[in-house]
Amino acid sequence: MGHQYKAIQWNGNKIVYDLYLFAFVAIFIGVFMFVGLQTHASGHSADPVVLAIRALGTAAFSLLTIILAIGPLARMNKRFLTLLYNRRHLGVVTFLVASAHFGLALFWYHSSGPLNPFVSLFVSNPLYDSIPGFPFETLGFAAFLIMMAMAVTSHDFWLNNLSAPVWKALHMLVYPAYALLVMHIVLGALMTEKSMTYPIMTAATFVGVSSLHLIAGLREWGADSGMKQLKEKGWVDVCAPDDIAEKRAVITPLPKGDRVAIFRYDGKISAVTNACRHQNGPLGEGRVIDGCITCPWHGWQYRPDDGISPPPFTEKISTYNVRIEEGRVLLDPKPNKPGTRVEPALIPGAGVVS
Amino acid sequence: MSARKGVIDPAKTDTQDMFIGWAKAPVVDRRFLLGALPLGLIGAGGASWLVASELEDPGAGAWLTSATHKVTGALVNAPYPMLLVSDPAAPFGMRTVLIAAQGKCNSALKFADKEGLPVEASGVLIERKDRRMLEVPSFLDEWLTPVLIDMPGSVVMPDTVSLGPAHLAGTVMDSKCFFGVMRPGRGKTHKACASLCIRGGIPPSFWVRTKDGRESVLLMTDAQGGPIPMDILPLVADPVEAQGEIVRVGDMLQFRADANAYIRI
Repeated sequence: MGHQYKAIQWNGNKIVYDLYLFAFVAIFIGVFMFVGLQTHASGHSADPVVLAIRALGTAAFSLLTIILAIGPLARMNKRFLTLLYNRRHLGVVTFLVASAHFGLALFWYHSSGPLNPFVSLFVSNPLYDSIPGFPFETLGFAAFLIMMAMAVTSHDFWLNNLSAPVWKALHMLVYPAYALLVMHIVLGALMTEKSMTYPIMTAATFVGVSSLHLIAGLREWGADSGMKQLKEKGWVDVCAPDDIAEKRAVITPLPKGDRVAIFRYDGKISAVTNACRHQNGPLGEGRVIDGCITCPWHGWQYRPDDGISPPPFTEKISTYNVRIEEGRVLLDPKPNKPGTRVEPALIPGAGVVS
Repeated sequence: MSARKGVIDPAKTDTQDMFIGWAKAPVVDRRFLLGALPLGLIGAGGASWLVASELEDPGAGAWLTSATHKVTGALVNAPYPMLLVSDPAAPFGMRTVLIAAQGKCNSALKFADKEGLPVEASGVLIERKDRRMLEVPSFLDEWLTPVLIDMPGSVVMPDTVSLGPAHLAGTVMDSKCFFGVMRPGRGKTHKACASLCIRGGIPPSFWVRTKDGRESVLLMTDAQGGPIPMDILPLVADPVEAQGEIVRVGDMLQFRADANAYIRI
């Protein structure tokens, strides 16, 4: 967490993750080059540089597709949290592969000519008024700039200094970047290559990613819709204490769209915002571990009663007032200032562990 | 009983241990990864194989960079830099070898003072079937050496024979990439590069394919036989058609038509 900044806070899982990532990229590009360099049936052979440009571009697009699929997959199946963790390394590697693709294409297609390569990128194909003729390179370049901004600001240093909402908004640009890349492929490679494999694969990945987001979104929307009709003012009747599993939470949406995670632990009930201070991870899907609410995405921790990370960390999240009356957990929908201590509600009949 | 509508209970569907990045992964996650990770690598290799194996034929042509080649012939500057080489075994007793500078700028080639003289040029050959181009290190003086040889007049001043008007459909290519520097050196992904090359003075070729699949490559000039103007650039690499005249100069076919005669199909 954020008490100090290191380039990378390595641990065993991150090392395994990155080694696997390296193997994945190496296999993808290696197989592509090996197959692509085989002499064609006609006796013709491809230029290794052109082939490398294509291998790197295909790899970068595949990695970005995986990045975008991991989020909704992790919402639907918790096993995918193993891939969500350290996803920013995946993002940075994707950017590096995309950089190699962009750099090589700029060098091979646009350098050593009568124009500055960056000028050539925009003027060598002037058909901006044509959809099929549109200079697809500019779309890829726009996506590249977005990916660069995301990669550069991926460190927690920027998360804290830009503020979470700005950082999150910046990183949501991954969706426009993905759309730009799809169009980059459709108006570039797909206009050149004749095999139907490419439009089918491109459409499949795009529809796959979109569908996963749609399914995950519909699930959330379905859960939220029940609370949208909530008209009552004041305290909200959420559930009975026994409806909450020990060391776990239930999540209740509030009429204004916020979500609250209500945890049961050691005979007590505490409520905090459902959004982790780190990357808005769903705290209510986490556990109480070592006395702290632990986010399922990256393991950030907060004390249930005051929403403050245990020392030496200093992050704070909003808490909510809770009480138990007549066997029901009641929640005050008004959030407290982040880090405000709230006396946990004691569950009648449950032994309180101090 | 009793949770109100809309309340989500993750514990109902997720009873397994939770993965935490900084802690040892639970058994259930390790089992998942043991299955998923190899599958991911196989998927990566399979998808990559599929994409690479479906790529278009890169086309004929070769960029013979492994050796320096010396070509002796008469040096001509118009409409584009070229060497006219005597070759009694070849059709018409000669071969035309286009000249290109390294990179995409033929403006770097300066040899007006040697126009028409026999020279020996050193560089890297680019070949596509019977078409040849010599890529020369124009930043060095040594690439071009005057030589004292007698060359037949039919080579130094080849006949210009009109083969008549023609309406051709094809694609405007930059000769250097198309002859073999880039494979593939065609299609929309190569459009910007081809346009930049032609803007830099690399001779444009008109790549025409007949209905039975045979290809013909004609050097493009304007209607008077001069270099084609830059108005052609937006049409580069796109399917076009044009009314013009086919002319044979020595062994090389030229297609003579002004840039505004070309129409995108």
